[in-house]
Amino acid sequence: MLASTLQVLILGLALGGVYALMASGLTLIFGVMRIVNLAHPIMIIAGAFVAYWLFRLYGLDPILAMPIAASVLFVIGVVLYKLVFEKEAASAKYSEMTVLLTFAVALCADGLLGALFSNTQRVTTPAYATDAFIFGTVFIPKGQAYAGAISLLVIGALLAFLNFSRFGTAIRATTQNRAAAQLMGVNVGRVSLITFGIGIALAGAAGALVSFLFSFFPAKHWEWIAILMSLVVLGGMGKLMGAILSAFLLSVIAAFVGTYFGSTWSTMTFFLALFVILLVRPQGLLGDRQEEA
Amino acid sequence: MPELLEVRNVVAGYGSGPAILNGADLHVSPGEIQCIIGPNGAGKSTLMKAITGLLPIRSGEIRLMGERIDRLRPDQILQKGIAFVPQERALFPRMSVRENLRMGGYTIRDERELKRRIDDVLHRFPILSERASQHAGTMSGGQQQMLAMARTLIVRPKIVMLDEPSLGLAPMIVQQMFDIMRQLRDSGMTVLLVEQNAVVGLKNADRGTVLDLGRTLFSGPARDILKDPRVRELYLGKAAA
Repeated sequence: MLASTLQVLILGLALGGVYALMASGLTLIFGVMRIVNLAHPIMIIAGAFVAYWLFRLYGLDPILAMPIAASVLFVIGVVLYKLVFEKEAASAKYSEMTVLLTFAVALCADGLLGALFSNTQRVTTPAYATDAFIFGTVFIPKGQAYAGAISLLVIGALLAFLNFSRFGTAIRATTQNRAAAQLMGVNVGRVSLITFGIGIALAGAAGALVSFLFSFFPAKHWEWIAILMSLVVLGGMGKLMGAILSAFLLSVIAAFVGTYFGSTWSTMTFFLALFVILLVRPQGLLGDRQEEA
Repeated sequence: MPELLEVRNVVAGYGSGPAILNGADLHVSPGEIQCIIGPNGAGKSTLMKAITGLLPIRSGEIRLMGERIDRLRPDQILQKGIAFVPQERALFPRMSVRENLRMGGYTIRDERELKRRIDDVLHRFPILSERASQHAGTMSGGQQQMLAMARTLIVRPKIVMLDEPSLGLAPMIVQQMFDIMRQLRDSGMTVLLVEQNAVVGLKNADRGTVLDLGRTLFSGPARDILKDPRVRELYLGKAAA
């Protein structure tokens, strides 16, 4: 009993790390630009495709493909921001417009990936994806363990960048008070552009991990929108630490629910959390009412 | 004395709404404290935002030492030497006092120079030095206002602009603020402020400018404006004039 509980806890934490990486880009983009990026999950799928083809064509390990997937998606993010969002920044209905625009981007990207690669299920199969660490009666799949650990490393690097670099501090300042950041000499247009790129790059990096954790196909991103939104809302919109904490919390709860009540209920955990937090504490775990207003 | 800042016939408004400034003029000389007064809705804060580039102007021109700045971004205007403390103080609430001061010097690339300037400012404001690690959002209104002013000094601007610095503060703290402004003026800086409380503002200023309905009505020495019957009329109605 104790061993199985420990195993579920470790698996929940490992997957929580990957969810945290997926949600970090989404909440970073919202924090700086107030863009609810419904296209974030399709960018994760795009990152998974980059890793998949590098694995298929060159035998490159998906973990080693992470920086390449992140770089490709960074460029896509920057181009997307320039083409689609930059002009809208001055619009009075900016937030509403960005929801519609990101939805349109998600549809277009879904269609494009479907046309290019078809909607068949794919997965990369490095050796560790089917191997496991065995400690007595505790069984930890290596793929999940590696993905969780690497997600934590990437998130640690992101936090260090945000807290200790000059540009990272400018991103945090813009998140807390955009007008004040401008008055301090921050070019918030440039901060927005780079942050959007970084957010999409994080989706790409997460996608490389997804490529061996789950089977994926372009239309799969629709399943992830609600899951990622629940993490971001639970943590407090735009609060990076909140999204990370809620990713671990919900992932562990979902792992236990899945073990004891079945996998259908595991997914329901995220939706229920979304409903409950909106009813009880709409500003999220780390948000405060003042900022919400 | 040559003008440091000139605002000529500026028209500005928010989005596609009606103009709030309808041909405002302003002349600021170096080394003075100038106070802009006017009734609610006169366009005082809007004028501040137009000067700092937070609000694009529709027509007219704004010049700093003869150079047009009305097409520049706020970060570029700061680099030209205009620092601004808006009404809501614009602090970063989840950053410490020291981090807020560091953000004040965001445009300074030399790390040693930045540290030296932060230490200078903390020496000038001992209350901030005591609270260097405290989050700005947890400080009192007076301390926040002091931090907001201190933060602008890091870049050693030519002009410090303050929008309603006395708002919500106890009279003793307000007096401290004006003492600091006089110190800044005496050290060669120029201070431009907006005050809803015209008497307090003008008593502490060298010059005043009166704004109403987005236009400049008149300007002159602050003491003269205090006695001007037109100001009494503007604030208290015709019967009082």
